[in-house]
Amino acid sequence: MTKKILYSEDDKRVEVESPLMRESLINAELRTGTESARARGVMPGLDVISLGGHSIIDRGAKAIMPLVDVVVEARGTHKLLIGAGGGARVRHTLHIGLSLGLPVGALANLVSNVDSQNAKLLAAVFAKHRGVLIEKEEFLKIPLMLETGMIPIMSAMPPYHFWEPAVGNRRIPLHAHDLGMFVIAEVTGARSLIYVKDEDGLFTNDPKKDPAAARIPRISARELLARELPDLPLERAVIEALSLSRHCRALRIINGLVPDQLRRALAGDDVGTLITAEAP
Amino acid sequence: MTDDRDRRDRPARHDIETPLSRATLNAARPLDVGSYPPTRKILPELCVMKIGGQSIMDRGGDAVLALVAEIVDCAKSHQLLIGTGGGTRARHIYHLALDLELPVGVLAALGAATAEQNARMLALLLAEHGGVYDETPNFFNVPALLRTGCIPIKPGMPPFGYWAVPGQSGRIPDYRTDAGVYLMAEALGAKRMIYVKDEAGLYDDDPKKNPRAKLIPKISARELLDARFADLVIEPVVVQNMLAAEHVREVQIINGLERGLLTRALAGEHVGTIIHA
Repeated sequence: MTKKILYSEDDKRVEVESPLMRESLINAELRTGTESARARGVMPGLDVISLGGHSIIDRGAKAIMPLVDVVVEARGTHKLLIGAGGGARVRHTLHIGLSLGLPVGALANLVSNVDSQNAKLLAAVFAKHRGVLIEKEEFLKIPLMLETGMIPIMSAMPPYHFWEPAVGNRRIPLHAHDLGMFVIAEVTGARSLIYVKDEDGLFTNDPKKDPAAARIPRISARELLARELPDLPLERAVIEALSLSRHCRALRIINGLVPDQLRRALAGDDVGTLITAEAP
Repeated sequence: MTDDRDRRDRPARHDIETPLSRATLNAARPLDVGSYPPTRKILPELCVMKIGGQSIMDRGGDAVLALVAEIVDCAKSHQLLIGTGGGTRARHIYHLALDLELPVGVLAALGAATAEQNARMLALLLAEHGGVYDETPNFFNVPALLRTGCIPIKPGMPPFGYWAVPGQSGRIPDYRTDAGVYLMAEALGAKRMIYVKDEAGLYDDDPKKNPRAKLIPKISARELLDARFADLVIEPVVVQNMLAAEHVREVQIINGLERGLLTRALAGEHVGTIIHA
């Protein structure tokens, strides 16, 4: 076989002048240099509310409707964005998918349909209150909705689909509903991020299984990871991402079955559990 | 089915009974998946290749056309899926976004468009030989394209966009086109993953800047991560993912400026650098 080198000279590339020209974007020094204390999220002032699928939506009207009232009431004073989680049908999808030997990327792709259903369900309930379903690719239209007094509602699952990173024998996606809303709070630079679940915050163990579990009112992401609790009410990936966050430096977990907790959390009261990026 | 372990004073949960209906998905210990079969390979004969943006596409003309001719030959005997890199235009818009103090998610959303342009260019060049541009994030057209002898060409950037998670340092997304194409190959259980770049393989530093950089023909993913080289020819997240991957446990980086190497790599020969898990 004859070797034919077409171009060995670097200058045969046609390049656009920029400080990143010819960089691999992998060099650690170059990457660190792109950090900026002045960088900001793109929609500051937003309050992001993540409604749990299994914990809230699957309980139906009795759990959902009181929260609708709180959200509608807060709309006049807050810029709200609602995310809908998955729940029972996600677990069923995972079970069937795993039993068929489907890879994690396929599971992530399939699970996103369940969140989309729940987002549509909520958008239909909120429609008479100017709730509007927002698709992932419409992200930059959120300001328009807020300015016109609408309540944007999105499916919480991040759009990783078949690109879900490898998980080894964990088999199920690490980047799911909770992470999706965390990243939205991070990229928007939201004022607050509230996870509405069905317990009064974070406990030392799953309070549904262990009656002796105690509530932790406040903890840092690092401490929480170091504690290696047997169970977490949020995806592990959220706690890891929070410890690396630039803009969303805290999140709150509250009990949506006590709707007043949402009212108080939106008012800035210390309810539920506050997980911070830094040690308190 | 309601959750009877739940407290009675609360609205009941409408559950669907399966082994996972009350399992803890966020537990410290991984979910017990022992009762499930292993993951299947969706397209076991597929060979995935990534055509570099800066390394190949930005050379335009002869470099790209010569490679396209070789791809056409290879497509006669292999099921190919092509992913594309971004290159110098991606770097230009990353710089503008960094200068405007925008967060990582915005950079990730912007970067996708350059890889899309490159995928469309390749699709046009390969059109008469069955090259078809296929949008992210859909996969469900790929089997039909392969069955009819077409070559699906997809943008390499993963679809994370605004949902890109901030990394350890800086605002350049960790998951870019090397990772995007790798994760496609892994999800589909591909037979091969070949990175077509403009160097003989992996060096212990950037050979374009450091003439003393040494070529490493073969290395394990763990060794490569432990070596902490200042620069790498491939995104480090690819190597990290390889450690947790089920199917694509080996990738090869080859020089796409030298004719014949792609053909040989597709045949399973070691012609560049092999990274293995």
